[in-house]
Amino acid sequence: MLYLLVFAQAHADFRIPELQSVSELYGFHIGLLENADPSRPFMVVELEEEMYARLLARRCILVKAVCEFYARGATYDEVHERNRACRSQWERYVPDTSFKFVVSAYNHSIPQRRQRDVVESFSYMDFLGKIDMKSPEITMVVHEEYDDKHGTTREKHEGDGAFREVFFGRLIEEGSARPLMKKFDVKKRVFYGNTSMEAEISLLMANQTLASPGKLIYDPFVGTGSMTYTTAHFGAMVFGSDIDGRQMRGREKRPGIIRAAAQYGVDQRIVDLCTFDVTRNPWRCGGLFDAIITDPPYGVRAGAKRLGRKNRRAKDEDESRSRPFQPSERPDDQPYIPPTRPYELSALASDLVLLARYMLKPGGRLVFFLPTVTEEYAELDLQTFLCEGMEVVANSLQDFGSWGRRLITIRKATTQQFPPPAFDPDKNVLSESDLTHVPAHKDFRQKYFEGFKKGKLGD
Amino acid sequence: MVRLITHNLLACHVKGCTSNNFPLQFKDVQIELREAEFNPDFLRNFMPRIEWKALVDAARQLGDTSLPEEQPEMVDDEFLQKLHHVLLEVHVEEGAMVCPNCNHSYPISNGIPNMLLAEHEIG
Repeated sequence: MLYLLVFAQAHADFRIPELQSVSELYGFHIGLLENADPSRPFMVVELEEEMYARLLARRCILVKAVCEFYARGATYDEVHERNRACRSQWERYVPDTSFKFVVSAYNHSIPQRRQRDVVESFSYMDFLGKIDMKSPEITMVVHEEYDDKHGTTREKHEGDGAFREVFFGRLIEEGSARPLMKKFDVKKRVFYGNTSMEAEISLLMANQTLASPGKLIYDPFVGTGSMTYTTAHFGAMVFGSDIDGRQMRGREKRPGIIRAAAQYGVDQRIVDLCTFDVTRNPWRCGGLFDAIITDPPYGVRAGAKRLGRKNRRAKDEDESRSRPFQPSERPDDQPYIPPTRPYELSALASDLVLLARYMLKPGGRLVFFLPTVTEEYAELDLQTFLCEGMEVVANSLQDFGSWGRRLITIRKATTQQFPPPAFDPDKNVLSESDLTHVPAHKDFRQKYFEGFKKGKLGD
Repeated sequence: MVRLITHNLLACHVKGCTSNNFPLQFKDVQIELREAEFNPDFLRNFMPRIEWKALVDAARQLGDTSLPEEQPEMVDDEFLQKLHHVLLEVHVEEGAMVCPNCNHSYPISNGIPNMLLAEHEIG
């Protein structure tokens, strides 16, 4: 059966990955048509049962509505001809079902008068039930899709009828996951920081992890916990760690992440928060997590740090090496803060994939953001951090112009066990001499602050 | 918080400390009991990862003797309830976890354990 999906006007690149993740989560197949174009707001897909369409409406953040699909066409004549041909699909509503028609447009507003004309043009369907505008048993929807006229000056209804395509179907369910964006609005959260992830993206990320009850999920750069709330909302148990405990705690005695989680009623699903550097982690064994979800710090608002000193050679000459640290050397009210050094992004990305291969269960997913320079990005960039047994499931761009960030979803496609990554601070840093391809995310921080000028690097 | 599920997953990771570095020993702890939602699926999924003796010993150290010495083969609801309580409802709020091998002490403050290592411990 064919179903019509109506998307929210946002994050077009994330639409298909989200549909596929949700269908995988619930174990059904979603058939994409050959001409499926995720940049358009309407998409016709194949599903075995109406229930699956409802599941999409209830879980996909980017789905505004799902409909039973009847017809599409470049003109209303085409639509009516095809709609007549699929009479068997809507025939059962003819005798005594209350109904209403809704005529709407994307990128345009249709004058009321023509809306009425459009409804009238479907009169051959001969629905005998009463028209009920308030609570009809069925709602028939007509969507006209117009090209984006953004930036042009025009009369309100100018170009009316010059649509790209019309879609017609019966509304099954409005999307009920999208309102979660309001619930998780960062501004209404009791605890957040300047690097907190916006609600919509946190929800999309949670969907990419296939979060659901019974699962255990880990964020190794948990920060202020943005993604823990959304994954926990979908039922998963969540661990968080961060090199900077202050980020997780906030100012009050009760840790900030726990306070915010309590606001959403999921504080008991935050298993624990720990302070440690993920490159020096205390995990007893691998294969623990169903998913790893994280927004690694990439140096624009918060720099990535790892334990160690900036200049390792200097450290060898440092006296402190031969003289072990004595806790008594510092006053008791000053907790010891070990030195940290910057963590270059391309090294961080490949370490993260190796860590995920070790820490994930077979079939588990790694979901993370990778900032990248739009002009320099190439498909090949992903190859620089992939390793045996890990495969890319999705790669969606959030475009900010000269730079963007890519939400990368990687699956552990092996049951083989791998050792924990070495996190060798010297060996892991990609240098241009030992790489045939330099990814656009390498030295991202430096490129960002140089305004992405070409040829500036390495000066 | 430091629940016993977490305690069961953390080993001392000081450089060179690779044997007898698990489980960490609780010291000077303050405990709180907090009810958590019972999730049998989660428990069943997690059971294969548990180091049973470490869990039983830690629970006993904190005064809970409800778990059997050996991990039972038959998993019934009554057992899962006990496991749920021990793994997820016992929270260590303050105190420390000490490595039985190298004596490194990982302090717990407001329920968050500090597992950071000092400079000389990471090599």
